[in-house]
Amino acid sequence: MFDFGIIPPAMFVGMVLFMLYGFPVAFSLAAVGLFFGIIGIATGHFSEAFLQALPLRFFGIVSNDLLLAIPFFTFMGAILERCGLAEDLLEGMGKLFGRVPGGLAYAVILVGAVLGAITGTVAASVITMGVISLPIMLRYGYSPRLATGVIAASGTITQVIPPSLVLVVLADQLGKSVGDMYLGAIGPSILQVSIFMIYILILSIVKPASVPPLPREVRGDFTWALLFKVLSGMVPSIVLIFLVLGTIFMGLATPTEAGALGVVGAMVLAAMHRRLTWPLMQEAMRSTMHITSMVVMILIGSTCFSLVFQGMDGSRWIEHMLSGIPGGPVGFLIFVNIFIFVLAFFLDFFEIAFIVIPMLAPVASALGIDLIWFGVLICVNMQTSFMHPPFGFALFYLRSIADRGVKTSDIYMGALPWVGMQLILVAIVIFWPQSVTYWLKKGPEVDLNTIKIEVPGFGGNGLGLPPMGTPPGMPGLSLPPMNGLPGQPPAQVKPAQ
Amino acid sequence: APAIAQENPKIAWRMTSSFPKSLDTIYGAADDISKHLAASTNGNFTIQPFAAGEIIPGLQAADAVSAGTVEAAHTCSYYFVGKDPTYAIGTAIPFGLNGRLTNAWFYEGNGNTLMNEFYATQGIYGLPAGNTGAQMGGWFRKEINTLDDLKGVKMRIAGLAGQVISKLGVIPQQIAGGDIYPALEKGTIDASEFVGPYDDLKLGLHKVAKYYYYPGWWEGGPTVHAFFNLEKWNSLPKHYQAALTDACAFANTNMMAKYDMKNPPALKQLVSEGATLRPFSQEIMEACFQASIGIYGEISASNPYFKKIYEDQTAFKRDAYLWMQLSEYTFDTFMMIQQRAGKI
Amino acid sequence: MPVFLAVSRLIDAVSQFMGKLSEYMVLLCCLISAANALIRYTFNYSSNGWLEIQWYLFAFVVVLGAAHTLRMNEHVRVDLIYGSVSDRARLWIDTIGLIVFLLPACIFLTWLCWPFFWLSYMQNEVSSNAGGLIRWPVKLILVAGFGLLTLQGFSELIKRIAALTGHLVVETKYEKPLQ
Ligand code: NA
Ligand code: NA
Repeated sequence: MFDFGIIPPAMFVGMVLFMLYGFPVAFSLAAVGLFFGIIGIATGHFSEAFLQALPLRFFGIVSNDLLLAIPFFTFMGAILERCGLAEDLLEGMGKLFGRVPGGLAYAVILVGAVLGAITGTVAASVITMGVISLPIMLRYGYSPRLATGVIAASGTITQVIPPSLVLVVLADQLGKSVGDMYLGAIGPSILQVSIFMIYILILSIVKPASVPPLPREVRGDFTWALLFKVLSGMVPSIVLIFLVLGTIFMGLATPTEAGALGVVGAMVLAAMHRRLTWPLMQEAMRSTMHITSMVVMILIGSTCFSLVFQGMDGSRWIEHMLSGIPGGPVGFLIFVNIFIFVLAFFLDFFEIAFIVIPMLAPVASALGIDLIWFGVLICVNMQTSFMHPPFGFALFYLRSIADRGVKTSDIYMGALPWVGMQLILVAIVIFWPQSVTYWLKKGPEVDLNTIKIEVPGFGGNGLGLPPMGTPPGMPGLSLPPMNGLPGQPPAQVKPAQ
Repeated sequence: APAIAQENPKIAWRMTSSFPKSLDTIYGAADDISKHLAASTNGNFTIQPFAAGEIIPGLQAADAVSAGTVEAAHTCSYYFVGKDPTYAIGTAIPFGLNGRLTNAWFYEGNGNTLMNEFYATQGIYGLPAGNTGAQMGGWFRKEINTLDDLKGVKMRIAGLAGQVISKLGVIPQQIAGGDIYPALEKGTIDASEFVGPYDDLKLGLHKVAKYYYYPGWWEGGPTVHAFFNLEKWNSLPKHYQAALTDACAFANTNMMAKYDMKNPPALKQLVSEGATLRPFSQEIMEACFQASIGIYGEISASNPYFKKIYEDQTAFKRDAYLWMQLSEYTFDTFMMIQQRAGKI
Repeated sequence: MPVFLAVSRLIDAVSQFMGKLSEYMVLLCCLISAANALIRYTFNYSSNGWLEIQWYLFAFVVVLGAAHTLRMNEHVRVDLIYGSVSDRARLWIDTIGLIVFLLPACIFLTWLCWPFFWLSYMQNEVSSNAGGLIRWPVKLILVAGFGLLTLQGFSELIKRIAALTGHLVVETKYEKPLQ
């Protein structure tokens, strides 16, 4: 525990205490990092110059294109919320499921999955979902705990459903292709949505009061006219979501730019509904600015912490604790998942991905564990890091947008069952690897010794070498005559039969 | 005993790599340096490697070393062309030297001396510490047969090569690392370069852009550098400097050896999974060559360091490729003919 | 005290101005990004300069908006304790937090970011991507951002002390950042 001194574990304790104090998280994290930075200089772990890494790391954060998704999707959500279109979507779905107890929760989970298929960042997803659906759920009598829980959980689905920032980072760290990680995550995504829906189903039977159906005057009697009205009310939002997804699938835009196009799309839709006003835009810009600044300043604060943690040999401490785990692959996986689950109380996924995964990957690989499966498993597990009370980022984001009437303890208590469900999914993925590997395109098993490659293009219209028999015009330097290479047709692969 | 302690002081440095651990061949060179140094100094002088982002973001390595934030970095000099184009020559410039000649120029020519004259202005001392050998030209969604085919191609390619190829109508495009795959898959970009078969296979780009072009004329034999904070380097005892120089030289040799062992099977794997090999045409190569010469002229006009080092390298290149025609070229060509004929 | 409060009001006004500017940058950033995508798709044209300006604006929003966000008390807290104590206790938590956490951290970070900017400025550093932008402005944003946060920290401190000494009424309600 203390093989690398008392400081790395002390830093964890320090972080918890500093944050509990109640000062804004971003500055508390920065302060605890710098506080231990001074200790590190005093103990000779590093010099003052080491802290000069901080501006470089800040620069790395603000120049990370992927993070642009945060303002874009927040802005889109803010416009949709203010012009009521997103409410139309959720209320529409709610009305369709209206007579069913738990209908709104189903709607949130499904909309969460759809948003997850558009965005890759939990922040954008939780915030968009929370802004849109929390007031509605509370208005129609859901318990605050269930409402916040289902939103936080549905918002974090985005990190398992492609496109996903977490999967991108993990693929990078594991040295696997992003595409394969995306394919591997399909099974667990479907499983997760199913588990969430089953939970609501069970709840609606066991404790129907916590998930009331919409009141009759809200959902109205079922008529074909109502169905048509509901469907047409949902059309704009669905069109927008498919516009965003579509621009990615058509190759019109990168996932980040799709967010920006989504903003423009939301503005156009709001205008079509004659709801686009300058005050509305200003209000949306204002809240987007605050949330973006708040979220990214947390990242900036936590990078102060993790730099000093690195300087204190924190990563070697963790590596040391990992060495020598008994029990073969399954023992390793169970230990690793418990370890990451605990670690996720303290660190966010960036830190886990950057600090811990590189230490785990070689061990996993040596044990014969498929790294795609391993990566998806870790991804599902790390999803809990967004949901852990009291430091889960999804809970911060939710707290930041929830009405004061929602108590923080409600948000924390509400998260617990969903963390439990995520752990069930972790267990399923551990003991049923096919849930990941089934979706992977199996490359043809080939014996590389049978692959014959005829390299195209020497001569012909390819990169022709000068014929070797021709003197290049420098007397005495003519190359020894040799037959020039025969021209070749373009690439051919002939696996020898 | 105190005298010995003074001769062999305990020194512990940090080395930030610009590469993730997943690029095990390139990242591994930092490990090689670390292990060899510790062994040859009896563990008294150690360097702990860190992957990109653990301490310093990959592209900030030069700033970190010159400020003394970390004592050392393992990085590509050309990542920092934005500060001064002279950085590019340290790694490779388009139509520069192949891997073997790069080493000749650095070790026995003026390369290392001249580059360090420049690096000194940046507070850095540099040593070659890895070479990938000639790289591949990257992955294209469509075939590139003529110069016209290049026009409007959106390609992820950075640095001087991006400037060169933009003169031919290619649009150099900046895409976040993790976005390359989906961007290529969906056609947001049309092409992307990376390293060579072994590393490219891991990225899986062949699944979304099947034409695999060669050669990577912008990287005929790029050097990966070990950068050291100049003051810290100068403060080392002479025998520690020697031990570190040797460790870097080993890493330099060993990286190319690794790539030469790992690339052939990876190439077969890529082709078996659908990668289609294509050479850049003579026409394209020559146009790019001419564009490069033009750019070197422009930079030389305003940058004396670049001019001096570029001219030195070019003078060497002129004679070296004469010698290569007699030596490697004829031998290699004969052996390639035997390989094609299936006689090996 | 009146002098200090006047200084505080001045700082607040500067932060608010930068905050307002940041709000417009959100819109501008979205429009530029959307235009980049559309132009690439329709005219098959693209430029690294226009791509880079997206994250320059992002940096502007994050760092220069932070002071105004602080002024509006919209940086997220763990409010297990903060949410359940008296107004006066909250003033004390903020006062001590500002003195012990925020001010030292932001002063130090401003001081750290300065040479980072200055080196880039002296080198006339540009992007390593063909057609990319000059680098020092975005590094200056980091310096200015932490500088402004420091000033705003002082302003908040003045207001908290004034409130504790009965010179001012400060709203300690920790408001949700999004209305
Ligand atoms: Na997602
Ligand atoms: Na390359």
